[in-house]
Amino acid sequence: MITKLIHTTLFVTDQDKAYDFYVNTLGFIVKTDAKMQNGFRWLTVAPPDQLQPEIALLSPLHEGMSYDEETKKAFKILLDKNALGAGVLYTPDCRATYEELKAKGVVFKSEPKEQFYGIEAVITDGCGNWFSMTQPKESK
Amino acid sequence: MTQQADIYRRVIAAKLFIDEYYHEPIHLKHISQKAFFSRFHFHRLFTRVYGRTPLQYLTAKRLQQANYFLQQEGISIQEVCNSVGFESLASFSLLFRKRNGYAPQYYRNLAFLKNKLAKEQPQRFIPNCIIQNIVSEESNIQ
Repeated sequence: MITKLIHTTLFVTDQDKAYDFYVNTLGFIVKTDAKMQNGFRWLTVAPPDQLQPEIALLSPLHEGMSYDEETKKAFKILLDKNALGAGVLYTPDCRATYEELKAKGVVFKSEPKEQFYGIEAVITDGCGNWFSMTQPKESK
Repeated sequence: MTQQADIYRRVIAAKLFIDEYYHEPIHLKHISQKAFFSRFHFHRLFTRVYGRTPLQYLTAKRLQQANYFLQQEGISIQEVCNSVGFESLASFSLLFRKRNGYAPQYYRNLAFLKNKLAKEQPQRFIPNCIIQNIVSEESNIQ
């Protein structure tokens, strides 16, 4: 019986940049930061109130990855296009979080808008991904 | 600026004040002054925006920083306690244990061990399926 999701992968263009965004800007916690000999880096983070699942920030473009060139190229195209929607981040107040993160230089694909499920803005991580940032209706 | 935007701006300023001065003996009075609200009004607004009271946020911030400092060498538990704004080691230890499930010293021992292993045997932390399928062969050789 599977009872929990404990790790999930988020492909990013650059792990240092991703570290800066998720840890220094969003305030996520570093769970593991382990480097192998050729530089492959296992970097996992989690939001401060939810330490699982850990999000493994992996760069498919890194030379330590075994993807063939064609696959790497495909990843690069998708990441450069910011085409990958990575999930939904919860916030108790979407508009306030939007204002705070915008002041920190975070780029949004869309401003907070009323949706049938709550208030939603779309945030980008600057590393190829976007997230819905949602304040569900019941959270106020 | 709309009234709501102004309220957000002031609440966010107070939250950023906590982020910057968490290590100092700050109280609700100081924080609410930053937002130019009465204590009661500020407490209500902050809790609505951040989903926790200002004191809960301040305590969480201090404990989160303590987690970081405890992973560093050359700083004692008492110094960690004081450097994140707790005045009493007893209350720090109690709150730390409540949040993390371990006493500060035990947490530190585990963190040191994990960091040592992460440096010396990083593959122990990486799921084997990732190593087998994603990491190139030369990375497997340790």
